[in-house]
Amino acid sequence: MNIEPVPGGPGTVAPRAPEPLSRRSRASALLTLAVRHPAVVPTGAVVLAVLIGAAIVLAAGLNPISAYSAVLAGALDLENLDYTFSVWALICGMALAAAIPLRMGEFNLGGNGQMVLGGLAAAFIAGQLDLPSILLIPLAVVAAGVVAGAFGAISAPLSTRYGIPIIISTLLLSPVAVAIVSYLLRFQLGEAGSAVAQTERFPDSAHMWALGSLSYSNMGLILIIVLMALFWLVDSRSAVGFELRVIGANRRFASYGGVRVGRLAFGAMAASGAVAGVVGAIIVLSPPYRLVDGALLSPGYTFAGLAAALLAGGRPAFVPLTAALFTILQVGGGGMERSADVPRQLSDVLQGVVIIVLALRTIVDSRRTGRSATS
Amino acid sequence: MTTVPAVALVGISKRFGAIVANDGVDLVLSRGTVHAVMGENGAGKSTLMSILFGLVSPDSGNIFVDGKPTTFSGPLDAISSGLGMVHQHFRLFESMTVAENVVYGAEPRRNGLVNRKAAHDRVRELSARYGLDVDPGAVVGTLSVGTQQRVEIFKALHRDARILILDEPTAVLTPGEVTSLFAVIRRAADAGTTVVLVTHKINEVLSVSDEVTVLRDGRVTGRFQRADATSAKLVHAMTGREVTPVANSGSGSVGAAVLRVNNLTVVDHHTVRVTDVSVDVRAGEIVGIAGVSGNGQHELVEAILGTRRALSGTIELLGRDIGAASVRDRRALGLAVIPEDRRGEGSAVQLSTAENLTLGHHRTAPVGASRGLRRGWISLRAERARARDLIAEYDVRTSGEQLPVGSLSGGNAQKVVIARELSHNAPLLIAEQPTQGVDVGAIEAIHGRLLDYRATGGAILLVSHEITELLALADRILVMYAGRIFAEFSRSEATTARIGAAMAGAQAETDIPTEASRL
Ligand SMILES: Nc1ncnc2c1ncn2[C@@H]1O[C@H](COP(=O)(O)OP(=O)(O)O)[C@@H](O)[C@H]1O
Ligand SMILES: [Mg+2]
Repeated sequence: MNIEPVPGGPGTVAPRAPEPLSRRSRASALLTLAVRHPAVVPTGAVVLAVLIGAAIVLAAGLNPISAYSAVLAGALDLENLDYTFSVWALICGMALAAAIPLRMGEFNLGGNGQMVLGGLAAAFIAGQLDLPSILLIPLAVVAAGVVAGAFGAISAPLSTRYGIPIIISTLLLSPVAVAIVSYLLRFQLGEAGSAVAQTERFPDSAHMWALGSLSYSNMGLILIIVLMALFWLVDSRSAVGFELRVIGANRRFASYGGVRVGRLAFGAMAASGAVAGVVGAIIVLSPPYRLVDGALLSPGYTFAGLAAALLAGGRPAFVPLTAALFTILQVGGGGMERSADVPRQLSDVLQGVVIIVLALRTIVDSRRTGRSATS
Repeated sequence: MTTVPAVALVGISKRFGAIVANDGVDLVLSRGTVHAVMGENGAGKSTLMSILFGLVSPDSGNIFVDGKPTTFSGPLDAISSGLGMVHQHFRLFESMTVAENVVYGAEPRRNGLVNRKAAHDRVRELSARYGLDVDPGAVVGTLSVGTQQRVEIFKALHRDARILILDEPTAVLTPGEVTSLFAVIRRAADAGTTVVLVTHKINEVLSVSDEVTVLRDGRVTGRFQRADATSAKLVHAMTGREVTPVANSGSGSVGAAVLRVNNLTVVDHHTVRVTDVSVDVRAGEIVGIAGVSGNGQHELVEAILGTRRALSGTIELLGRDIGAASVRDRRALGLAVIPEDRRGEGSAVQLSTAENLTLGHHRTAPVGASRGLRRGWISLRAERARARDLIAEYDVRTSGEQLPVGSLSGGNAQKVVIARELSHNAPLLIAEQPTQGVDVGAIEAIHGRLLDYRATGGAILLVSHEITELLALADRILVMYAGRIFAEFSRSEATTARIGAAMAGAQAETDIPTEASRL
């Protein structure tokens, strides 16, 4: 066997400075970046949901195009826009309540309970205190935030101290709060002599300020927009927002880096509950200006908001958009039923499909990372 | 010479998309020799071996076995032509016994059923022939990594492999296990088996190989006979440049104690991990902790960092008792840590390189601010600028600071961790396996930085299972074994043999317990 140094072998290889990545690999890096872009999967989920919805409508012997155009027309009709925006504010608020813990990888499924407790606190202030609007409304909103925030925050120590997952404790505590509020409305705080379990109508000083001549959208919409902007700012520019994202990405990495995971979880759950409570306050301070048993829950803002937050991956910039999508479905569902003869339940089906596609993504992702971890 | 080589690979090329993994590679294996295939990570070694073993088909090039042109349609084909391969990542059935794994696919049968006794006998026979002790009835999942690797080797030998391919076999072994592996390799080669040893460790090449082929960026950059190969020539062929090894000169002044650990005991799930350990590290000193992984080093580090509570004992940092302090307070006081588990603890793979570099620096200038109006806020511009500077300074190969760390190679991700922790300029640095997955050229750069850290008065606790690394850097070396400080060596006393023996628990045991004693 004859082994000799290859021509131009080790002796002659010119020393080479570390060179930057080639253009080829930069292009492929860009491609990966594009495919991994956070908007890709959600968009795919929506497109898929729309197609599946179309298939269902077709299977029922109806015309999907007219169904969808009825949805859009119902929601985006100029006359309806005022109403659509008022619903968007509430869904957006509940999406925000879900998005905050989602940043640290936790699910708040207790939006209903937090929202109802917030509504109760606001109703109590609005009904009991005789103050001018300028004090009464902020006070009611703040009280709602504090009470619901405290309720939401309970789940944090339950998780960090006692190991009860936040997703479980929020889910289980929520009906308790709903039942308590319902009880209070029926037997303690309810309007005497009314057949419906509801409070008395609040005085005018407790009516949420209108926005010009709009009849549905009021200052609550502005409040939610401000909260969204605040969320975006804290998420992208603050130390706390950064720490939350680090926890969401890798909890061990966060602890190792000195992030106080327990405290942050407490703060995030309190903020999440507080936002849900504020949504409850906005609802009761709007027409019919009462806290009506069950009225906060029946429109399903919590679930729509949760779906919107999941679709946005909790990202502040996307939440308003995905919330708008579910708002259109919800508001336009009625129009679709009227003009295209498609039951409004199709909206729920589409919401469900989006969630399933997102869940599948999570599974695929974990499979993929599981595999690459061993390769 | 006239003998036909056992295997000749001629002009092998293989691309994966834009990456050229092998580019016209020639590899000639003479019968009965140990042939080392060397190269840095990503040089194309595993790809070449996969092609030889029929796992990957080359884009072009030819394979000759015993002089005859051969194409393998799959590994089964390769096995029937007398090849055997031990992969970098084992492919064993963890819930099955050693004997079942060894004979799998080529079972001795009796009346159509697997003959268990014959299988056990076969394992005992192989054990005796190659001087490797393995219990045929043991369940593979319960065995140490070193023993599992023997099972892999037996699998190949059981099928009478004449050509045995070992892909980075020593990465997971203790020094003692490496020695016994090399004895087996030598014995197999002397018996006529052709062995291919894939590695990037120079001392291994020099100690066991007869011939060497060096790859770089998919091309052959050097071929040597054992007699002509020197460490400098091999490094030059691997890296394309001169790499001067750095070493602790032993000079410099040692200051006051920065870290004082006294009689520390750490318990995890009723198992004692660290028993009564005392360590001091002084300013301007590198204290090395040697040990096979799993002997309590990591738990010691966790206790010092504060991610794990100690059962008893005290930890003092800069004279302050930090036993009850939070991780954040300990870090603020003056502690930085390069952790062993890069993916699990040292980084968040989905987050960008910039964000990974920011953690721990996000409440201090320039990215954050510790006082004033900007306190609690982050400047994205400062984050980007700082990330770019560190990427340049630490030579992290990436096409952008916004790409997720998970998209970087292991060595580059390691540089991100090192950059983040060294830039704290903390009085105490704990470095666990600081050069894992890093290329030869970059290892020297990292070693140089650690020595600079020491020279500027930093105290370093260096945890490593690379003895060469400890010998090059440490002023003192402590050996941990079964949760205790088992031995201590000064610079002048420390030798590979002494440390290796202590790592194995002093007695030349073949099987090193990785589990500390139960409570
Ligand atoms: N299956 C594959 N798909 C894409 N790229 C690959 C694949 N296998 C290896 N590569 C790439 O080919 C190059 C050589 O890899 P490899 O042969 O594993 O190197 P080594 O074993 O020397 O570290 C690397 O850049 C690696 O990323
Ligand atoms: Mg490899």
